[in-house]
Amino acid sequence: MTDFEMIICRCEEVTYGELIKTAEEFNCTARELKLRTRAGMGYCGGRTCRPMVDKAARGPEISKDTEITLKYQPPLRPISFGRLGGKEK
Amino acid sequence: MTDVIVIGAGPAGLSAAAVAAEKGLNVLVIDEYMKPGGRLLGQLYEEPDGSWWNGIEESAKLFNRAAEAGVTIKLQTPVNNIETTADGIWSVYTEEETFVTRHLLIATGAAEAPVPVPGWTLPGVMSVGAAQVMTNVHRVKPGNRGVIIGINVLSAAIAMELKLAGVEVASLSLPGKNSMTEESADPRKVLNSLLHVSHMAPSPLVRFGSRFLQNDIMKKLGVSFFPKNGVKMWDIPVQLRKAVIEIYGENEVEGVVMANVTSDGEVIKGTEERITADFVCIAGGLYPLAELAAVAGCPFYLIDELGGYVPLHNEQMETTLKGLYVAGNITGIEGAKVAAAQGTTAGLTIARNSGIHGLVKEIQLAIQSIKQTRDNASIQFHPEVKKGREIIQEKWEEHARALEGTGSEVTSEAEAGG
Ligand SMILES: Cc1cc2nc3c(=O)[nH]c(=O)nc-3n(C[C@H](O)[C@H](O)[C@H](O)COP(=O)(O)OP(=O)(O)OC[C@H]3O[C@@H](n4cnc5c(N)ncnc54)[C@H](O)[C@@H]3O)c2cc1C
Repeated sequence: MTDFEMIICRCEEVTYGELIKTAEEFNCTARELKLRTRAGMGYCGGRTCRPMVDKAARGPEISKDTEITLKYQPPLRPISFGRLGGKEK
Repeated sequence: MTDVIVIGAGPAGLSAAAVAAEKGLNVLVIDEYMKPGGRLLGQLYEEPDGSWWNGIEESAKLFNRAAEAGVTIKLQTPVNNIETTADGIWSVYTEEETFVTRHLLIATGAAEAPVPVPGWTLPGVMSVGAAQVMTNVHRVKPGNRGVIIGINVLSAAIAMELKLAGVEVASLSLPGKNSMTEESADPRKVLNSLLHVSHMAPSPLVRFGSRFLQNDIMKKLGVSFFPKNGVKMWDIPVQLRKAVIEIYGENEVEGVVMANVTSDGEVIKGTEERITADFVCIAGGLYPLAELAAVAGCPFYLIDELGGYVPLHNEQMETTLKGLYVAGNITGIEGAKVAAAQGTTAGLTIARNSGIHGLVKEIQLAIQSIKQTRDNASIQFHPEVKKGREIIQEKWEEHARALEGTGSEVTSEAEAGG
């Protein structure tokens, strides 16, 4: 297996190759890279791949030192559909 | 309504909870794990003075102190969101229930950074912290013979813990270089960072290297002369000139492909060899787990010396948001004793802000004690951690001045809000 085939985002099955190529082609920020490839948008909310998506990104981030590049969104942990819908089990 | 809610039952959270409860407040601690103690639970190492630091015992002490003071501890309860309302009340959301308080401490600790290596999705590959928890907390061997990818303070300490448990560590080596492994794949940078951690636990490695490292030229030589087969640390080969370029196996880990690398970390073609192993640990280092502070809206700064993005806070552990505090590794990566000292400070600050008088002196002493603990720490994750602490303090002062400029009132209670 080569670097290019290795999986970076497990939930959405996004490979290293896909991330690097997309970042090169669109010269994109971490957020754009996430939206284009879906890396970090799966079940776990990017808990593993977030730092790697950040590193693959190339475009100029808006004030990278003072703002987290990839926004955190609640819920920070998986919640069952029943709970979200407010329906009793 | 609870007077104080603490998220995280690690050394920082438990210390804060105990102190606040001892001052007469009612305190609820929430943690997603099934045992109290946080990352302290897995720690087991020999101190420079020859005594042993046993995380399970230390966690029990902290837990007992908190329990005796009347703290309620709710385990196996992940917090998935926090929110504040205009009247200064914080809501803490968990799957089953929502809790409210006026004083909320986030002490969620650190997370492990990933190091991608081809084949790392095979069963049998785990983070080095997972191997530590399996071995020291659950007393289950992660395997019989492992390879650790990533050479840093944490992986060196855990390699030794594995060895103590009778698990063979075939090698501690670098990851292959790619655009995501960067510094952790550069032999010179890795050696350099290890050598600056002067009183780090694996001292044989430090002693070996420091002979070469008087200046920059010597640093290069240090890596160049690094023996091809590595140096042995407690009989474990530490290989700064070899990198794992692939993890292989049919249905699970069967071994790794290792290759020699140049002093810049470039793979030397034709030197690949296969090493058998039944588990592999990935060790990319730690970063502050600050997700809850991020959803709350805290301003952040990227400070490498502290391990990543940290929420803006002052020495008393207040954030810029009213009623929100942080302590422990969320403020920067350091050992458990520093985290506990920060927790004590946070607990006192919360007590003072809740209207308990006569704590000013005690808070000052607690802040001093954080610094002393840092100076005497036997484990240090970043050589420049003190500089990192100064940077965040400067940022806090800048922030306070900016608020003064706009006419907002800044008090020691961080009432400015944000
Ligand atoms: C894998 C690993 C190994 C380490 N090994 C060492 C070592 O050998 N020596 C050393 O000195 N330091 C080590 N550290 C550093 C360690 O972080 C500190 O020693 C210390 O434990 C930090 O204390 P803390 O209270 O800040 O956080 P922690 O001890 O990490 O405690 C944080 C707690 O918060 C909980 N939590 C986090 N998020 C949520 C949430 N959303 N909802 C509910 N609960 C939550 C966690 O379950 C955890 O129990 C290690 C860290 C890690 C991650």
